[in-house]
Amino acid sequence: MDLVFKALADPTRRELLDELFRQDGQTLTALEERLPMTRFGVMKHLRVLEEAGLVVTRKRGREKLHFLNPVPIRLIYNRWVSKYQEPWAAGLAELKTDLEA
Amino acid sequence: MQELKPVSFAEGTAPVGDTAVFEIFIKTTPERLWKAITDPEQRAKYSFGVPTSSDWTEGSSYEAGVPGVAQIAAGRNLVVDPPRLLVQSFTALWSDDVRAIGETRVSWEIEPVGGSCRLTVVHDQLPEGVNAEIYGGWPMVLSGLKTLLETGELLDTPGSLMYAQAGE
Repeated sequence: MDLVFKALADPTRRELLDELFRQDGQTLTALEERLPMTRFGVMKHLRVLEEAGLVVTRKRGREKLHFLNPVPIRLIYNRWVSKYQEPWAAGLAELKTDLEA
Repeated sequence: MQELKPVSFAEGTAPVGDTAVFEIFIKTTPERLWKAITDPEQRAKYSFGVPTSSDWTEGSSYEAGVPGVAQIAAGRNLVVDPPRLLVQSFTALWSDDVRAIGETRVSWEIEPVGGSCRLTVVHDQLPEGVNAEIYGGWPMVLSGLKTLLETGELLDTPGSLMYAQAGE
């Protein structure tokens, strides 16, 4: 779980996750085009996300595709959110979204 | 029988292309993990209270449901290679919406890593713009499977045993 929090602590890695949320199953090349960063930089961040289990790669033909793995987030939800009054957390998140809209 | 309140898994679930991938590490042996997937009683404990029944031979059919309460899914066992790989056709049956999706495919891949197993569930052959409801429940199922094998306990998060409760 430490690996997940560490992986999520970086804005670029959160951006990569958002990019996979937008379109799941992308290649390194496609992700690289989306971010203002070198191929090496994107690879480095993807490796951290993979080690945390947040991203899973699968081969399809000659391509390596990156998929969002929602399970670690679910484990954090089980451990940290459902226990601490989910309705409150949801209410606060909604308030923040409304205020920032 | 209390009124059934299904929990929707479409909300907040990431959209996917034709493939959704779920990976989890579980501290157990491949044999115990295979049994937890194929034993109807164990399966029910982390799959919304729903047992899955089959004779688990290649080409055989399987059914997931609680008689008189809900039909959840049905299909065929395409590849049965214990304790490493189970590939099944998967037709969701729990609502008209998901029934309309038709046949998809679910693969359970078990790989030992140190004293644990990496379990990867690949839900693919999904049609374009598929309703997230059909794959949105996997994270809860897999985290419940992990909890069961590692602690012997059941998850009590909303919806995790919704069909078992309805049958009581």
